[in-house]
Amino acid sequence: MQILKKTQLKSWKKAQEIGAEKVLELLEKKGLVGRGGAAFPTAKKWRIAKSQPVEERYVVCNADEGEPGTFKDKLIIKKNAETMVEGIIIASWTIGAKQAFIYLRGEYEYLRKKLERQIKEVLKKAKTDIKIDVVRGAGAYVCGEETAILQSIQGFRGQSMYKPPYPPVEGLWGKPTVVNNVETLTCASQAILFDDWDTNLRLFSISGCVQKPGVYELPLGIKMSEIIKIAKPKNKLKAMSFGCFGGIMPINENMPVTNETICQNQCHHGAYSVILIDETYNVVDICLSIAKFYTYESCGKCTPCREGTIRMLNLLKQVRDGRASKKDLETLNEFAHHVEETALCGLGQTSGEHIITALIHFRKDFEEYTKEKKAKDKLKNKK
Amino acid sequence: MKILINLLKEAQDKKGYLSEKVMKGLSEKYDIPLSRLYGVATFYMHLKITPQGKNIIEVCGSPSCILNNGNTVEKSFEEELKIEAGETTKDKQFTLYKVSCIGCCDEAPAALINGKAYTKLTSEKVKKIIKELRSKESSKTKPRKKK
Amino acid sequence: MKITIDGKEHEVDEKKRILQICEDIGIEVPTLCYHKDLFPESRCRICLVQKDGKLVTSCSTYPTEGCSIITKNEKVKKARERNLELMQPSAPVCGPEDDFEICKIYKEVGLPQTRFENIKDYPQDLGASVIRDDNLCINCGRCVQTCGEIQNVYAIDFMTRAHSEHVSPYNNKNLSEVACIKCGQCIMNCPVGAIRESPHIEEVEKALADPKKHVVAQTAPSIRAALGELFDMEPGTLVTGKMVTSLRKCGFDKVFDVDLGADLTIMEEASEFLHRVKTGGTLPMITTCCPGWILMMEHFHHDLLPNMSTCKSPHEMLGMLIKTYYSEKSGIPAKDIVVVSIMPCTAKKYESQRPELDSAVDYVLTTRELGRLIKRKKIDFVKLSDDEFDTPLGISTGAGAVFGASGGVMEAALRTAYEFATGKGVEKLEFDQIRGTKGIKDGKIIINGKEIRFAVASGGANIKKLLAKKDQYHFIEMMACPGGCIGGGGQPIYTDPEVLQKRAMAIYQEDAGKPLRKSHENPIIK
Repeated sequence: MQILKKTQLKSWKKAQEIGAEKVLELLEKKGLVGRGGAAFPTAKKWRIAKSQPVEERYVVCNADEGEPGTFKDKLIIKKNAETMVEGIIIASWTIGAKQAFIYLRGEYEYLRKKLERQIKEVLKKAKTDIKIDVVRGAGAYVCGEETAILQSIQGFRGQSMYKPPYPPVEGLWGKPTVVNNVETLTCASQAILFDDWDTNLRLFSISGCVQKPGVYELPLGIKMSEIIKIAKPKNKLKAMSFGCFGGIMPINENMPVTNETICQNQCHHGAYSVILIDETYNVVDICLSIAKFYTYESCGKCTPCREGTIRMLNLLKQVRDGRASKKDLETLNEFAHHVEETALCGLGQTSGEHIITALIHFRKDFEEYTKEKKAKDKLKNKK
Repeated sequence: MKILINLLKEAQDKKGYLSEKVMKGLSEKYDIPLSRLYGVATFYMHLKITPQGKNIIEVCGSPSCILNNGNTVEKSFEEELKIEAGETTKDKQFTLYKVSCIGCCDEAPAALINGKAYTKLTSEKVKKIIKELRSKESSKTKPRKKK
Repeated sequence: MKITIDGKEHEVDEKKRILQICEDIGIEVPTLCYHKDLFPESRCRICLVQKDGKLVTSCSTYPTEGCSIITKNEKVKKARERNLELMQPSAPVCGPEDDFEICKIYKEVGLPQTRFENIKDYPQDLGASVIRDDNLCINCGRCVQTCGEIQNVYAIDFMTRAHSEHVSPYNNKNLSEVACIKCGQCIMNCPVGAIRESPHIEEVEKALADPKKHVVAQTAPSIRAALGELFDMEPGTLVTGKMVTSLRKCGFDKVFDVDLGADLTIMEEASEFLHRVKTGGTLPMITTCCPGWILMMEHFHHDLLPNMSTCKSPHEMLGMLIKTYYSEKSGIPAKDIVVVSIMPCTAKKYESQRPELDSAVDYVLTTRELGRLIKRKKIDFVKLSDDEFDTPLGISTGAGAVFGASGGVMEAALRTAYEFATGKGVEKLEFDQIRGTKGIKDGKIIINGKEIRFAVASGGANIKKLLAKKDQYHFIEMMACPGGCIGGGGQPIYTDPEVLQKRAMAIYQEDAGKPLRKSHENPIIK
């Protein structure tokens, strides 16, 4: 796998030789974009932070991989942490930061001791006075959002802040801060060193009703049918969910997986986590599990997300229990849209996606459970 | 650099939870108002302000685990321990939680037990794990045989 | 930069957020969590407007070149209503006596019908001064910021997250169990009345209805500067006469003036200060008439005990006089006298109940509670004629009146101390250096050849700043509420800081209008 290729501090050496400006040009040429889900051009972000007229800058490596169905960063931390650390050093040096943080999610605590050892070794070999500290995440999905991660590091409740100000302009303690995903920083180190670095490869985290779940490095534009072949579903597949936030769409074997095609189905690719759902499941039950997730993980700051997520969950429970009417489905759709349009941060803004897309593509599953259908069935059975 | 969330986790590592005494000590040492310390601690799921069982079991309840018999595994834990998610056993040995995705979706269904990942769980595996943890505890408290 | 708002082109300051721009040009956008003195957290999501088609919160968003902003259309209206609907299951419904900010919004959009049921079930936090009901809270965060950044007390913060996020002291304690100074500033900033003062109207109404009881009202200096606001009068209108009339119409048997108690306090304060200066006593001497500041000292600055002056607070002094001197003079036994202090202050409710104080005051009503009492008695306040306070305990000087504003106690004390020490009156009675609503003010004066430096601070954060340099001064006045008592936790709720300045001007107007302006000239004291 390209992502597991080690750069062994040769990339750091090259970066120092060619200089910060050339590093940025190289990353622009190679087309490196963020791998956390937003796909923001990496070099552009580094440039913004570098150009701010202040002395202090920071780099934060976002290892708070919390999107359900995503486990690619875990693979990198387990198998290629040195290259990731090298990427952090290069990023810090390029923008002029002396301090970097790795925000490691609390659920990966068992990887921390080894990671800290590796950080120490790499820093020693790199002969740099850049400091890298591990921040121990403590169980909050919202802290994967870049403003929330900064609040958490600064010792506050990990609640999102509105943007602007954007972190590369005003981040930690008011100073320019680059927040990059684990994969992004690893790729940065690799893209600088390897001439044949392929920018089109993505790490797909595939899981769900399949026999061969795992992290697969595949090119963008790969056909859905290929992914299904690799994953080996247990039964006939019905739907796929892009993490929790990306939305649920029907299986389309001929569809090439690109940003455009996914958007055409009202979904978002995020970090390419694909959860495959087969025919033995009613999509409502999947939505219920996703709604529980959002209700639990909402940071609680803004009204629509704090109050809306639990209302959507309760409505879904009503649907599942057969106590919902068609009007309730309309209310569910209305508030799923409302929360998305008025929430403060990315969590709230995507918390209704699963409901909206499921109602578009799998309305029958919902209507199976409504009071009207139950009444109809009762009548049918009586006859 | 003093990072509050790290300080809280370190303090919790020592006694298993953040007691009022510990929090008051942190408040004085780092000049942080108590209300803010509690505000931060109660925000994060891993920081606990009440005593926990000796073994903390966090069963993953996210879609990928649900799609791989996750609900059955959760029920197994509940039956073995005779408690529901969110509760602690009477002998204070186990606390059970249902949590969000722990990142083991390719080895579902999974749980974190005392921070370590236990994957590809089945009802039998659950029984075995609980048995092992129980015997570990009793071997600690068994009196040494006199020679 | 040029932008379009509701179809019209405007030239705007790109450094101002959309909400302020709308305010400047007279467009009203409803808000709940936004407050001029606080950092905009953008929690409530009521101030939504459409910017280039997208819904954004106007309190947090800046304009961009050529953008089109729409503040009133179906989409914006519906979005605001849906957020109100989400709050509605637990937010207050607004009774006839309520006039919180959310009540004003309901008046405009109508009470939103909610399709959701109430899921909150928090116990009420009932205290001597301040009571909280988390079930009514909309998580706007104003109280947390006020108690933290503005008052530097940090008694409360947000706890847990998601839908169970709520405001509370640490570890589920009640306010009475933690370091809360009961200043009531949280009440002043709560837009839904989830935090209120501990009520005592019913008890006072009972006493007024009891023919065996002789109920005496005594009013603080700050009431007369703000009471009119509760009846839609212009802020800063001095309503001393109407206030006295309304109290009589409510059924109070006598109306006395706490300003007299203030004069009494000054006699002791000035004497004690001069004594300390003469004998090398502990300096700086710090005033003690503010119970919120006393609580702050007890919780956080115990080491300052020797610096505190030993005087009782004015209404306690006067209360004592009422139950002794007045009782004797009038022949009414003390046990039949009910003393009701009308105060701008919530901490005084606690003060009068403190066991170690052995208080002569039976009940403390805030200015807001008095307003409610007047309305319940269906008295048309604005049309009232002016009355005078009762004698003997209603005569006061201008020095007693200025107590209401930050710097007032200091000014009154210096007027008297200077004359006591030098034998002649101070040149200018108005100490402009310490007048006004600025957080920290200081000045100096020469008394018998010695330079006496004095400083005043109001509001917790300013108290902290002044304490850091306290040893530069001989005499310090501390007030827990920003602006002094005129901004007290029991005053009419205001959101515009100009209101505070206007109230201060009313206080100075009362002082200037008095024939006697120095405490020691008060005939009652003589």
